[in-house]
Amino acid sequence: MNHPATHPVMDPRLAPTFPKAALPVLRNTQLRKNVEHATDVIQTKRNRLVAEKADWQELRTAASALRAHVLENLATYLEQFEERCTAAGGTVHWASDAAEARAIILDILRQEQASEVIKIKTMTSAEIQLNPFLEANGVSAFETDLAEIILQLGGEEPSHIVVPALHVNRSQVREIFARRMGLKNLSDDPKELTNAARTYLRQKFLAIPTAISGANFLIAETGSVAVVESEGNGRMCLTLPRTMITLAGIEKVLPRFQDLEVMLQLLARSATGERMNPYTSLWTGVTAGDGPQSFHVVLLDNERSSILAKAKQRQTLKCIRCAACMNACPVYRQTGGHAYGSVYPGPIGAILTPQLMQMKFAQSLPYASSLCGACYEVCPVKINIPDVLLELRAQVVNQERGRAARYFDPMYVGLRVANLLFAKAWLFHVAQRLGRIGLGLYTRKDGWIHSLPGIGAKWTQTRDLRGLPDESFHEWWAKRGSQPGKEGK
Amino acid sequence: MKAPLQSRQQIPRQRILERIRAATLDCAQDPAMREEAYAALPRAYTRHGQLSAEARLKLMIERLREYDAEVVETTPEALPDAIAAQLAASDKHSFLAPPGTPSEWMVTAAWKISGLEWTIDHGLATAEIEQSEGVVTAASCGIADSGTIVLHHSASEGRRVLSLLPDWHLIILRASQVVETLPEYFARFQQPSGLVTWISGPSATADIEMTRIKGVHGPRFLNVILVRDKS
Ligand code: SF4
Repeated sequence: MNHPATHPVMDPRLAPTFPKAALPVLRNTQLRKNVEHATDVIQTKRNRLVAEKADWQELRTAASALRAHVLENLATYLEQFEERCTAAGGTVHWASDAAEARAIILDILRQEQASEVIKIKTMTSAEIQLNPFLEANGVSAFETDLAEIILQLGGEEPSHIVVPALHVNRSQVREIFARRMGLKNLSDDPKELTNAARTYLRQKFLAIPTAISGANFLIAETGSVAVVESEGNGRMCLTLPRTMITLAGIEKVLPRFQDLEVMLQLLARSATGERMNPYTSLWTGVTAGDGPQSFHVVLLDNERSSILAKAKQRQTLKCIRCAACMNACPVYRQTGGHAYGSVYPGPIGAILTPQLMQMKFAQSLPYASSLCGACYEVCPVKINIPDVLLELRAQVVNQERGRAARYFDPMYVGLRVANLLFAKAWLFHVAQRLGRIGLGLYTRKDGWIHSLPGIGAKWTQTRDLRGLPDESFHEWWAKRGSQPGKEGK
Repeated sequence: MKAPLQSRQQIPRQRILERIRAATLDCAQDPAMREEAYAALPRAYTRHGQLSAEARLKLMIERLREYDAEVVETTPEALPDAIAAQLAASDKHSFLAPPGTPSEWMVTAAWKISGLEWTIDHGLATAEIEQSEGVVTAASCGIADSGTIVLHHSASEGRRVLSLLPDWHLIILRASQVVETLPEYFARFQQPSGLVTWISGPSATADIEMTRIKGVHGPRFLNVILVRDKS
């Protein structure tokens, strides 16, 4: 059951709880090594570049305030974006949920009579599970980001939002490419592997006339869309096809072109530890003679408006998907992304996924954190993730209040009993004495308990417990009390 | 086909906007208030650079070289020769140029090095662009802090596809176009162009074990000639 090769479930509706899903990963040393290496490399580069930026905190403050302002005035900025984008020759569509977004995209593809489509990495399309839907409807979707190709050809699932294949190492990539591209003599040199991907995709870029992208930013003032990337596959998809479809969450909008001066300085440094990513593209509707002559934007709500309505949770939508929080997270760094059972892993996933699921699924995720605050510290838009985690935990507990099963939950029973014992001193003393006798049976000579029966085993499976001392503080104090007291009273 | 898709769209559009409005009762009540709130946003980050003109150019060159871009400096008078030298050293034979390429770059005999083939883009087909090995374009701005070159895709910078498919991209950047910080770029271009490409080094990936590999889909070689004009 807990075999390392278990295929991770990435649909929060079907995924096991976080502690269950984490087990196979924790036993997979290769995967853990890959995750640790990748997050270490990015973290080190990020920290160096952030340290050289004297105005880093001022940039964060500006970005945080700007994103909060956008969310407060979201309807206006979206309408502005729609108006300007339309005036520039684009078509704007609105989708309340994943199903609507998929239907709109399929409709456009049918109009274009497209049986194939090239894609720029977009987590939003993974959120709405677009690829399997297109496949089922006779449209082959080709991912073009190197990491996404590795995942797509290897039948793997994304485990990070910026470097989604960070859990796959070079020899695994070699195996996938050799098998799927029919290249028997491929070596595991990253350069050669990258070249293989370049050749594999070149023809697709030139031949397939329809593309799908995500968006990093939508500019209300101009109706423009901005996409941030490294490889140039984005530029290919944005430039060569006849028809372009951009899928964007409604929260992606910025008021003005100039606001990019804040966001672009933060994004690349936080995401990949670069002063600037190799390519950022911005386009506005349709430009005669340059690039796609038919352009669609699909604005996706999918529960975002519900998140917007909740005061403490709203900040979740400030996110610019830089992944700094997962690279910094001591939990993510151990488990990698698959344990989160969602395309959004790490601290941001722990708050975003259950909210996207209306708190009906993924309730274990708000607990997948030690609340150490590392995520908050690195977040370029200052999302107080620990605060939101606590808020969501409170909601999960509230949900459980009504359920009869909780009366049989050992945790519940334990805390109820503790409640009683701590309320009365004499009861507490009796419990102490009984506990000492009971636990005495399991305490070894060294004063430690190495294994307990029943639910106590949950503790001793992974750590030892100190035995109770022979004498409690109260007993010691009472004895000492026979001597005259020394305090002033 | 188009009409039903559009009208069907009206329903979710209204529903989403209504939901957003209901969720943001704290929003600005009128455009003036919103403008005011926007204007009051904190912007205490560095806008203007501190470097001297000379140090700014030095930083620009240093950053470009960190990205493995090749950089040479020249004067306006020597530019045609500098271009010719780059072409000769490129080991490529077929080149493209945008229609708005300044004539003073073109007239010189230096461009007509024997064996080099030139095509000016007057609406070339993608396949023709794909056949070419190199491209020479102007640029709109250089940002020293991050070693970024900005294309606005004007007639001298070329269509987007022109600087994308050929493997070798030579950019002519004038010293007067170089600013120090990203905010200085935005201050200079208040009226944005509809198309912008910010280029910071040749295309790259670190998707396999975080090993940086230069050149995935965009040009694998980025060369820059920095022209010391009078600013
Ligand atoms: S929550 Fe913050 S740190 Fe995490 S991905 Fe979003 S913006 Fe980046």
